[in-house]
Amino acid sequence: MSLAWVVMQKDLRLAWRNRTAWLSAGAFATISVLIYSFAFDLATRDVRPLLPGVLWTTFLFAGVFAAGQSFQHEADEGTFDAVLLSPASPTAIFFGKAASNLIALLVIECSQLVLATILFNTALISAELLAIVFVGTVGYVSLTTLLSIMGSRVRSRAVLLPVLSMPLLIPLLIGAVRATGASLGIEAGTAPWMLLLAVFALWSTLISALLFPVAVER
Amino acid sequence: MTALALRLLNLRWTVLPPATGIAMMAMIVGALVAAPREIIEGEVQRLMYIHVPSAIATYGAFFITFVASIMVLWKRDMRWDALARGSAQVGVLFTALVLLSGAIWGRPIWGVYWTWDARLTTTLILFLIYSAYLLARAISDSTDEQAARYAAVIGIVGFLDVPLIQMSVRWWRTLHPQPIIFTTKPALPGEMLIVLLIGFVAVFLLAAWLISLSTETERLHQRLAGVRAGVDRHEGA
Amino acid sequence: MDNIEYLFAGFAVVWACIFIYLLLLQGRLRSLQNEIERLEERLEEADRASARQLGFKRVRQDGTPPGDTR
Repeated sequence: MSLAWVVMQKDLRLAWRNRTAWLSAGAFATISVLIYSFAFDLATRDVRPLLPGVLWTTFLFAGVFAAGQSFQHEADEGTFDAVLLSPASPTAIFFGKAASNLIALLVIECSQLVLATILFNTALISAELLAIVFVGTVGYVSLTTLLSIMGSRVRSRAVLLPVLSMPLLIPLLIGAVRATGASLGIEAGTAPWMLLLAVFALWSTLISALLFPVAVER
Repeated sequence: MTALALRLLNLRWTVLPPATGIAMMAMIVGALVAAPREIIEGEVQRLMYIHVPSAIATYGAFFITFVASIMVLWKRDMRWDALARGSAQVGVLFTALVLLSGAIWGRPIWGVYWTWDARLTTTLILFLIYSAYLLARAISDSTDEQAARYAAVIGIVGFLDVPLIQMSVRWWRTLHPQPIIFTTKPALPGEMLIVLLIGFVAVFLLAAWLISLSTETERLHQRLAGVRAGVDRHEGA
Repeated sequence: MDNIEYLFAGFAVVWACIFIYLLLLQGRLRSLQNEIERLEERLEEADRASARQLGFKRVRQDGTPPGDTR
């Protein structure tokens, strides 16, 4: 556990040094929200029914994009092999990596929530919504982290990563969009969707943490 | 025990093709001639005898991919990778067949080719996941162990994702009638059940044969890469 | 209800897909086998040539038969 902490601190430092990658992910998310506003003409309509979908497609695409970017640097430099040779267990490495990705993504997502609050005149900063965003992000970050690390040596990974991860993340997308909609008052009851999100988050974290050591071991 | 298993495995080239052919013929005759005409849905209901077994065969093929993927990570043996790829290919083929025959069946009965109901959507998502799996595996060399492990991770995660997909999609939308054989009433009449069983046998034999063929193709790809490397070494030396 | 054309369409599509896949697989199998045979022959010929040249039979270092990739 403490090793995971150390790895996470190292990864966060790395993320900070490599902040252009994360900034580009944030810029990508911003552009995506703006593009949706033009495409669906969100300026004039009652936007609330569309907002959950807009937010979560943005989060997912930005998250997948960022996961690929965040690891690219280490893959290119070959520093990841060195990390694997260090005394830290692969599980600790994985959790450190996933946690640092999670923190960076949460920052991006909160900024998007603020942006959307301003743009669409809808209060999006509530404790419930933040909880949904947190659980949902935990749900996808471990899978995208696993797939981006595994795929870092495979050709044309930039296209491959979204094509591979999106179908796997459909249950999460459904749960997150419905929960967000419920918390915005579009439909009744967040509880079942929160349950789905929580189950998915638990499932993806567990399976990624179990598969990662086996998959990278040499 | 293993010797017996190997012997049985070697029978697949001599036994499977004729057995598959006979069973498929029996299935066609049964479906088109022997089975009674369904009163409400009419002739098109005869598609059931290939649609339902194909749907089950899909899950069987993906289960084989799942097990073979575990073995790839565990044993580090590329032969398992060939099996995983081969059966994923056949699984994707059968998902496509299920979607196509389902769409053609749905048109006269539901009035639409496609609806976003739980079963259909789950099948579509499975099709997407395993197409992506095949894509990921196809763009790297057949002997690339990194790529094989990457694909294995997807093979495992994808299969374990199935219950979650089913749950989420069922909550999301539901229209599809419950499959008739699993409900107590109205039970499927005897003749229909027999033809359906023949359909199961035929489709499973077909799937086994196709998986053997596609796995063999992948094995030959790997062997070819080995031989090529040998020639290169030789001529380079 | 008369919808027999859908029945035939369904069966035709399914059979067509299965047969196309079978033919593709058979074709690929055959071409792969031919390619492997061709290369192995070339390898053997080269082996024989070098054996004549050096006066002994060339043995591959790892001792595996040619083409074994396990």
